[in-house]
Amino acid sequence: MIRVEGLTKRYDTTTVVDDVSFEVERNSITVVVGTSGSGKSTLLRMINRLVEPSSGRVLLDGADTRSEPAHLLRRRIGYVIQGNGLFPHRTVAENVATVPRLLGWPDERIQARVTELLEIFQLDPALYAGALPHQLSGGQQQRVGVARALAAEPGVLLMDEPFGALDPIIRAKAQEDLLDIQRRFGTTVVLVTHDMDEAFHLGHCIAVMSQGRLLQYDRPATLLTQPADSFVARMTGLSDRALKLLALTSAGEAALPGSSEGPRVASSATLREVLSELLWRRADSALVLGADGAPRGQLTVAAILARAHP
Amino acid sequence: MSGLAITAPRERVDRLGLLLTAAGAVALIGLPFVIFKSNRIVPGEPRALHEVLPLWGALGLQFVLLGDAAVALGVADARRRLVAALAGIVVLALAVAAAANALTPPGNKVVRIAPGGASWVLLVCLGLMATDAITRMRPRPLARVLLLVLTLAIAGAALRIGTFDNLSVMREYAVNAGRFPAELLRHVWLAGGSLIAALIVGLPLGILCHRVPRLRPPVLGTLNVIQTIPAIALFGILMAPLGALAARLPAAAALGIRGIGAAPAVVALFLYSLLPIVADTVVGLRRVSRAAVDAALGMGMTGSQVLARIELPLALPVILTGIRVVLVQNIGMVTIAALIGGGGLGTFVFQGIGQNAIDLVLLGAIPIVALAFSASVLLDALIETLERSGSASTGPTS
Amino acid sequence: MAKILKSLCAAALLALATATPLEAAVVVSSKLSSESAMLGEMIRLLLNAHGIPTVDRTRIGATPVVRQALLAGEIDLYVEYTGNAGLFFNDAANPAWKDLAQGYELGSRLDYAAHRIVWLAPARASNAWALAVRGDVAQAYRLRTMSDFGRWVSGGGDTVLICSAEFANAGTLRSLERTYGFVLHSSQLIVLAGGETAATIAAAAAGTNGANTAMVYGTDGGIAAAHLQILEDDRHDQPVYAPVPVIRESVLQQYPQIAAIVKPLMESFDRETLQRLNARVQIDGEADEAVAADYLKSKGWLN
Repeated sequence: MIRVEGLTKRYDTTTVVDDVSFEVERNSITVVVGTSGSGKSTLLRMINRLVEPSSGRVLLDGADTRSEPAHLLRRRIGYVIQGNGLFPHRTVAENVATVPRLLGWPDERIQARVTELLEIFQLDPALYAGALPHQLSGGQQQRVGVARALAAEPGVLLMDEPFGALDPIIRAKAQEDLLDIQRRFGTTVVLVTHDMDEAFHLGHCIAVMSQGRLLQYDRPATLLTQPADSFVARMTGLSDRALKLLALTSAGEAALPGSSEGPRVASSATLREVLSELLWRRADSALVLGADGAPRGQLTVAAILARAHP
Repeated sequence: MSGLAITAPRERVDRLGLLLTAAGAVALIGLPFVIFKSNRIVPGEPRALHEVLPLWGALGLQFVLLGDAAVALGVADARRRLVAALAGIVVLALAVAAAANALTPPGNKVVRIAPGGASWVLLVCLGLMATDAITRMRPRPLARVLLLVLTLAIAGAALRIGTFDNLSVMREYAVNAGRFPAELLRHVWLAGGSLIAALIVGLPLGILCHRVPRLRPPVLGTLNVIQTIPAIALFGILMAPLGALAARLPAAAALGIRGIGAAPAVVALFLYSLLPIVADTVVGLRRVSRAAVDAALGMGMTGSQVLARIELPLALPVILTGIRVVLVQNIGMVTIAALIGGGGLGTFVFQGIGQNAIDLVLLGAIPIVALAFSASVLLDALIETLERSGSASTGPTS
Repeated sequence: MAKILKSLCAAALLALATATPLEAAVVVSSKLSSESAMLGEMIRLLLNAHGIPTVDRTRIGATPVVRQALLAGEIDLYVEYTGNAGLFFNDAANPAWKDLAQGYELGSRLDYAAHRIVWLAPARASNAWALAVRGDVAQAYRLRTMSDFGRWVSGGGDTVLICSAEFANAGTLRSLERTYGFVLHSSQLIVLAGGETAATIAAAAAGTNGANTAMVYGTDGGIAAAHLQILEDDRHDQPVYAPVPVIRESVLQQYPQIAAIVKPLMESFDRETLQRLNARVQIDGEADEAVAADYLKSKGWLN
């Protein structure tokens, strides 16, 4: 859905983004990860033309992003930044309604959409619609920021280190919320972060960048089992790659037919969590239960270990 | 007594009250209550309180003042202090007016009676007590504005019904009553007009300097130099070119641009107003949260939409502070415009100086001070209201 | 928004436009001083009574400002003083200024030639600088004229003169000293920055800092009220400053009757009359317009 072709950005003599190309599938989350100075933020901002590329182009659903005025393009793309950038002098409802207003939606539609979004993001409209940003907690402000980006039902959502300013507990919740929202709305998400764990948690595909170049663009598992070079390997984490690999698969996916007398685990748990539980209990196998409580199968330690390597 | 009223143990005396009581007592004993002049220019003769008021009047005033002293010293509740101070001011003003009435022979319009040193000092002391009480009460902006309007209304009403007609300032007013409203209006027009002109030029200039940092040193530097030119000198310097312009271009003269009169005054005031406006616009815009601007652009606002909907509203409190500085400054400086035919309340000031009639000077000066004070209160209230409604330009804290 | 801006602009232009003189009206002006304003008012009221439309732009500033405005054509008519022409034309030393008729003739010739400004009929009173002593001092030492004063001071008379810096330093005092044969030491002088005779009169009357002699203008209203005795310039040392209305020629051509209207008014004045009228404004605090109208009515020129 989003095709990046040869994007390059040069400032004077410095090349910040160097000939990056990749394609993002519809209805997926792509995480661009790298250390500071890797050019990941600049890359993101070239997608919605906050930065104009020195060369290369971006195709959105087949159309070159330069074929329309930048500000009109951006109204079709959601944008979330670190620190949220909420407008301090506008209420929560007015913040969320920003892009719909720019697009000229009728008032009732805006009102309905704002209420809908606030409810989805667990912000009681009666309490929060008329509140000002400084009256909200950090986590609430972050949710408003994402709601605002989704207000006009964009097909694409760009997020630049959106969870960076949150403390770990709120951050985990925010990440879960993002996964829920993405599933619910089917938005194509491109998210930039420096946190590899976050990348593995959220991304269907991960783009690893260093010093302006795209080193590898693959599914998380492939990144672990077939890193493009030693740099990527080190970035993804050599010390616990086996466990990281296990964390990518859920118990439900890996369950084998049969039953077990051992501890019960949810089918949504990752193999890493199941392994941890089995080791803790000194059990050999676990019974996998579905969301409805019905058994789905069983998993032995051996079966899990078989998946812990390429 | 409400629990809030007692904020200090009974043995501690209010320090401000002590100072004010001491000053007031010394003044009342040592300085004249009113000054009597048999005509406009002879030096005045002092008159004491008991010489000008009947016994009950003099005692009554002293009783009220003593009561105020007691409140100032011992009462901590701000509201009670305010009431006491205001009552004292009213009684004092009425006493001075009564003294003036008593000293004026019937039908005589030549004698001049002015408040004496004691009256002024007491007025200042009571005024300080009142403003201190108001400050302690921390009124909201709207309350402050209402208080100002109320004070002006009461003072205006008292003046209109002639309570103070026998005081020397009001005598000068009576003589100049025909011209006073016009000059007052002209004064406001000159001060406000130059402010508006400075906004029209200064705001865009400030926005430009914010966008193009390279421009800041030359622009702000030039404006700084202009600030240092003394006002009278600048007025004088402008007279010649504006006069020449009026002579060459009849259209300019038709528009009222001349070497004398309002034009050089407005141009000079406009130049003086530019620095605060431009500087405060730049500072205000600089303090707007970068994240909010970036988010606004990223969401698809055009540059001018970002400016109009995000940057300027958030920079507004700082810009308004600049406007307040300019307005108060201009109200004062328009006084000098009278020297070059500009009119305004300054005409009374300079005529008074020329004729050695201090009361004529006061006729010009008191309204000028009242105007400046009112402008300051109104704008401060506006700024605070905006800041309370969340235009905190530093953005969300987390 | 655009509409509001437009109406604001229109209002601003309208306001500015109303500040301009009407077509064919005579712009009557004056200096800030009360005598100048009063005379200006008298002329304006008189012109109105004769059906000539006027615009009131009195009290616009000091001599340089008003003179500049006249030359630039921004005002049409105001009351100047004959002696000032010496300053305007850099010829202050010319002895002609010391005589009213000669000074008037010279000044009106120069002004017409250089600027096409016409001098109308002058008043027969001089508003020149003069000295006035306290009444009790004048009585005690029989001081009536400057010659008396010169004799008294050089004979050891105890005078303390309060005057302006311009008076002391620009030559006037020297000239008086030379003509009347006395010298003042710096201990006998109190010099003020400004030239306000109201201040000097008040100081001499009160004896502030020992002052007993004040610099005054000949027609000051405060002199008698402050019980000061003005000293006659019997040897004509000082230039004559007689009030004279000056008008731009083009305006006079439009309304030639102005000359005839103003003549009897100016000729009705002498020094005592002007002092009396000034006293009503400066001492009694009456409005100069009221005093002007009153005077005209008393002469039957106004109804």
